[in-house]
Amino acid sequence: MNNNLAPTYKKLFGGYWVLWYSISNTYSVVESSFKNLLDYYLQSETIDSFKANLQPRANAETLLETIDNYLNDCNKTPTPTLNNHTVFDASNRCILKHYIIKGKSIRVNFDSELVLKTIHPALAHLSTELSNNIHTTFDIYLKNESLLLFKDEQLISCVPKRDYHLMQGKFIMQLLCTIHDNEEEDWVSTFHGSTLTDSISSVLFVGESGKGKSTLCALLTANGFDLLADDVSPMLSKNSCIYHNPSAISIKEGAFNLLEPIINTFSDLPIIKFNKTKGPLKYIACTNPKKNFYPCKAIVLVNYKSNADTKLESVSIKTLLETLIPDSWLSPNPLHAKQFLEWLESLDIFKLTYSDTKSVTNAVSKLFKQLNKNL
Amino acid sequence: MKKENNLDKITRKEAIQKMGKYAALTAVGTFVILNPLKAQSSSPPDPGGNPFD
Repeated sequence: MNNNLAPTYKKLFGGYWVLWYSISNTYSVVESSFKNLLDYYLQSETIDSFKANLQPRANAETLLETIDNYLNDCNKTPTPTLNNHTVFDASNRCILKHYIIKGKSIRVNFDSELVLKTIHPALAHLSTELSNNIHTTFDIYLKNESLLLFKDEQLISCVPKRDYHLMQGKFIMQLLCTIHDNEEEDWVSTFHGSTLTDSISSVLFVGESGKGKSTLCALLTANGFDLLADDVSPMLSKNSCIYHNPSAISIKEGAFNLLEPIINTFSDLPIIKFNKTKGPLKYIACTNPKKNFYPCKAIVLVNYKSNADTKLESVSIKTLLETLIPDSWLSPNPLHAKQFLEWLESLDIFKLTYSDTKSVTNAVSKLFKQLNKNL
Repeated sequence: MKKENNLDKITRKEAIQKMGKYAALTAVGTFVILNPLKAQSSSPPDPGGNPFD
């Protein structure tokens, strides 16, 4: 019964099943015993036949309610996005910035210093003098409490100004499309995390804000690794690889002292004040990786803990997905969801606890060597 | 995705954990439901520090 609510894809990872529901683009991680009950429910023809074989009988109502609620929660249809017909207004072009990224000339126009700070600091290392041969033009400005993003005068995004991180995410997506010559529909995901490469494969570092992802990546770029992406790590459908995101690494004030002796010119980097709670930031520009994309062979949950010994341990798919999925955009396209699940299946998953810079560098170097052995 | 400036409501992660415990009581195993973001995003601002306030 209710087979229209059944998951579209099911994949077993150790003791957990990962299910994907296409109506809602929802992922669910369940234990085998729950999966068995769910299968039994879906295979039952009627409620009575479902209840009939359950023991103890007194529990049947609760089980039925649990499964019903679960399936409803997994199949909530997304609210349709409203079409916004805002007309482009060129009079908001107050501050003009020009960037050359992967040979493409990109112009971004802002209406104010405040709006400029949402985008420019992470790309400042790519800015150049203005030129006439523009490949793509973006416009970003405030109108009626909303932040508007236009690409070549076509509206791409309109979000409440307090949700500026959504405009940033859309801008990065469109920038990636521009520099890597593809469309938004070509991407499987933008993972919330930073990706490093050793020029053979790559590792995605994820974790909650403040757990030291960016600091760790900055450290490792000073120790022979290349940054592939900071904060937003995009995966393309064509080859399931993570692509280069040219944004600089954003570093919070708490890590300034740690990085100053390690990163050349760190003390000369300008301090950017934008978000009061995040405090002053510095942006570290990294050299480009040798290739634009690398296969990602492992995900590491980063956990900076003062005075902790460096420890790299395996964790369950459940632990990983609880961190990764709610903070990442994953395409609702069934082909992409399948690719995402297949990619997860091929991965090694770890949790890295660290405080010491030297031993964590050794641990990550060993991890890359191990991954490359398996290639 | 955590909600900001909202002390009365529990976060998604807490809700998921509670749901998992509830399921465990039924002795049918735990489950978590995870929804990805509906749109691309960069790191969300921390509560209280939004520069557009």
